[in-house]
Amino acid sequence: MPKSDSVTTPTVAESVVFHGSLSHLYQLAKEGKIPTTLQGSHTRPCKFWTASKILSGIRNSILLTHGPSGCAFGVKQAYKLTNSRNSAAPYEPVVSTNLKQSQIVYGGERELQAALLEVDAKYRPDVIFVATSCATGIIGDNVDAVASKIQSEVSAKVMAIHCEGFAGEYRSGFDLVFREITKLMQAPTEESREKLAGYVNIVGAKMGPERTEVDTDVKELVRLIEGIGGKVHSVIAGNCSLEELQRAPSVAVNCALCLDLGYAIGSAMRDAFGTPLNSTILPYGIAATERWIMGAAKYLGKTAEAEALMRREYESIKDEYELVKSHLVGKTAIVEGHDAIKSLSIAHMLERDFKMRAIVYNFHPWSAEARETSIDYLLETGLDPEILITKGTLALGKYESMQQTEAELLELLGSLNPMETVYFGSSLSFPNIPLVDLNAILNRPRFGYLGALKVAKCIKTSLDYAFRPRSAMSKRIVFPKNSGLVSVQSLTGKLAHDMPDCTMYAGQRRKGQCSMN
Amino acid sequence: MLNELIFQDCTSSHDPVVGCALEGVSNIIAGIRDISIVLHSPQGCASTVALGYDNHETDFTQRKVACTRLFETDIIMGATDKLRDLILKADATYKTKVMFVVGTCSADIIGEDIEGLCRSMQSKVGARLIPMHSGGFRGDLYAGMDLGLSTLLSFVQPWDGPKLPRTVNLIAPQASLNPTWWADLKWTKSVLSAMGVKTHCVFPSDVSIEEISKASAASANILLTHDMGYTFMREMEAKHGVPTILHDLPLPIGLKNTSNWLRALGEYFDASAVAEELIESGETLVTNTLRRRGLMIIPRYRNAKVAISADASMTIGLLRMLFEDLEMIPDLLLVRSNSKQAREKLETELKRLGISPRVAFGIDGFKIKHALAASDLDAVFGSAWEKYLAEELGTKVACDLLQPTNRTFYRDSAYFGYEGMINMLEILANDWEAAFRSKAIRWEQYQ
Repeated sequence: MPKSDSVTTPTVAESVVFHGSLSHLYQLAKEGKIPTTLQGSHTRPCKFWTASKILSGIRNSILLTHGPSGCAFGVKQAYKLTNSRNSAAPYEPVVSTNLKQSQIVYGGERELQAALLEVDAKYRPDVIFVATSCATGIIGDNVDAVASKIQSEVSAKVMAIHCEGFAGEYRSGFDLVFREITKLMQAPTEESREKLAGYVNIVGAKMGPERTEVDTDVKELVRLIEGIGGKVHSVIAGNCSLEELQRAPSVAVNCALCLDLGYAIGSAMRDAFGTPLNSTILPYGIAATERWIMGAAKYLGKTAEAEALMRREYESIKDEYELVKSHLVGKTAIVEGHDAIKSLSIAHMLERDFKMRAIVYNFHPWSAEARETSIDYLLETGLDPEILITKGTLALGKYESMQQTEAELLELLGSLNPMETVYFGSSLSFPNIPLVDLNAILNRPRFGYLGALKVAKCIKTSLDYAFRPRSAMSKRIVFPKNSGLVSVQSLTGKLAHDMPDCTMYAGQRRKGQCSMN
Repeated sequence: MLNELIFQDCTSSHDPVVGCALEGVSNIIAGIRDISIVLHSPQGCASTVALGYDNHETDFTQRKVACTRLFETDIIMGATDKLRDLILKADATYKTKVMFVVGTCSADIIGEDIEGLCRSMQSKVGARLIPMHSGGFRGDLYAGMDLGLSTLLSFVQPWDGPKLPRTVNLIAPQASLNPTWWADLKWTKSVLSAMGVKTHCVFPSDVSIEEISKASAASANILLTHDMGYTFMREMEAKHGVPTILHDLPLPIGLKNTSNWLRALGEYFDASAVAEELIESGETLVTNTLRRRGLMIIPRYRNAKVAISADASMTIGLLRMLFEDLEMIPDLLLVRSNSKQAREKLETELKRLGISPRVAFGIDGFKIKHALAASDLDAVFGSAWEKYLAEELGTKVACDLLQPTNRTFYRDSAYFGYEGMINMLEILANDWEAAFRSKAIRWEQYQ
């Protein structure tokens, strides 16, 4: 039953533009009664970037961008350099046809054809993905025809990806690539299905190899699958090979890593090859994890093993986990809504596992459109978290860094009991209540039972040390002295992506008397 | 005659190591105070504009950027209304003196009349509107920076009086590959100041439009890069009578280059005595520091065969430092830019040094990898790209010195001047030590 938007506690300021249930927000967004477009200052990566991100997770493939060189350079610097830094992955190129003005006028098909031959000869890749850019999309180069014509002359598979930056919203690039790469897959045979009967794919991953020195969420999921006697065939697209992709439909089940993105490829594979899909919300917390495990076990024929594993896993964390839980039941959690899926998944964990009241703060209405799959799933499973959106989120500026949202959050926090409230967000925020930052690299894994324990420990540590005022130095690093309310994103561009939606104050005390210092 | 490398299969495919014209334009605009940018483009181009601001480490509160976020219908139907609305909104919100209205590939190709719109809207907004077409296809980063500078030239007002004595404009410090290039700018200002020369305007780093408008009053320009800016310098001389000085010298990188540069500067401003004092104290600083802490660089570096993979500015600057100061052998030079002037400067410098290493201009990732793989090198000076490539190819030492770097810099480190040389040698020494540390031997072997 959806909540009504007449929730009256906590008292909220005039600046609130929406306070109610997710289902109500979703309805308003569908009816066009709340703006779902991002302001001009709220840019996200474009379709080209998001498509490139997925393609960066396919081993021994070359991304050939058909257009001017800037698009290739940008994604190479952002994704490939990060891959090399994080995982000692070798240097990976992102190639461009490097179109100039004359080709924009006369067309660039000849360059593309020549580039395909060169790339095949130079790199000997398994696949060449030809990613279109805005420029070639507009001038109308027939990329499909070039790709098709050249196929017999090159040893790599050539696949056109139509991902012009203007051709869709942020996540449309993810969805497009996940749909397209199913065309590289081979239909299962009886023999191949038999061979991979004990295997699953983890689908919906983005970009490159996993860090070897971090207990990542994917590693935890692999451990759980192996714990019930299954094996992981491929993480798509997380450093997977063409060969893995080709055989991928023959596994027992696809398990979604990210519900939205996993669903995109999982449903495409289900429709094309009949591969079953285990699609649940991100497995934060025990309830979501158990659903995820049972979804996999069902198709692996390992239900009994899964039940045994779940008992073992729970027993191994029980004492500490239950202790923390006892401190949390009935408390309120404010969850930063910057990352839509993550915030909803955390809200799910807090409500289902810890019996807390979760308020997702500044979940942009844009996400209500962009993340339909996840929202549908949540609502179908009966979870309908409380959402609070303030004006600052919708204003021109950089909404993550708007002073307005900071003041608005303080207003909200000022009306809550600090002893009964926990903040889930970036530690670059300085709310005067215990803060849990699940993005910190040391706080991994976050999925599965180990993740549930890790989250519980993080909460406990925050509560245990709530008496300690936040570091004055940290605060001054984030908020320059005497600047009053400023942006937490004033640090460096590199940090910008990790910043919270809403940040706190510096300098003088402000409205919303929740400060300790 | 340069000993140039030839690469197969590189005519139509390019693995870029520099950004496009839009990034270059942003890198120029981001150096001006109290401006905003309205970007007429799909949303991804905003990331490229952010790179320009990142290169200045501009505080996020000062990044006043809005984007029309063009989608398919806008491309088909045109989006002039969308742009008009955003200009009005951004003007009311950002309240800056100047607003650059920048069209990228999409707006450029579909023929949005940005100039016309800016003209028609000028009376309706507080900011001065400056239209710019910055489609990525107009060239690379360096071409974009040239485009940005040529736009700024229109802000420079004629100066009727006599030139202000002992004043210089510094041009394009942000074109540098030093990850904290503003330290080089600071060093340059400090030596000018020591010679009684005032920095009049920096084109552009933390300057106002007013300062730019008066740039024609300076008595000279100094170009702090070899990769771009030549047209701008010519125009400044032709239109405003401001001559460019020191343009025939390598930048002050390493002991000899710095001394030569300071001497030439001292001569021009009749401050040779000050220049000699700076040289004396600087050279003493370097030699004393290295005597105490870096004596072993002599046997380590002497006759080491090395590659430089950088822009023309760093390549030409490092050459003499590596060859004469450190007695290394530059064997391979991989230059990111490809201007006629940079070629000539490199050729001249190689002639002066009497060496003829293999050279390539306008390089990309493939060419770097291919050239490194085909060489027998002891060390590579470059960026994070070259570091990872060297690891893959088995080249022993790779010095991750230049942008893009994965090295963490908490302190601003000049590469210009004497301390700059020490800073670079400190990075090299640490990378050298790390490269030769055994990762295989464990105590267990001896038990």
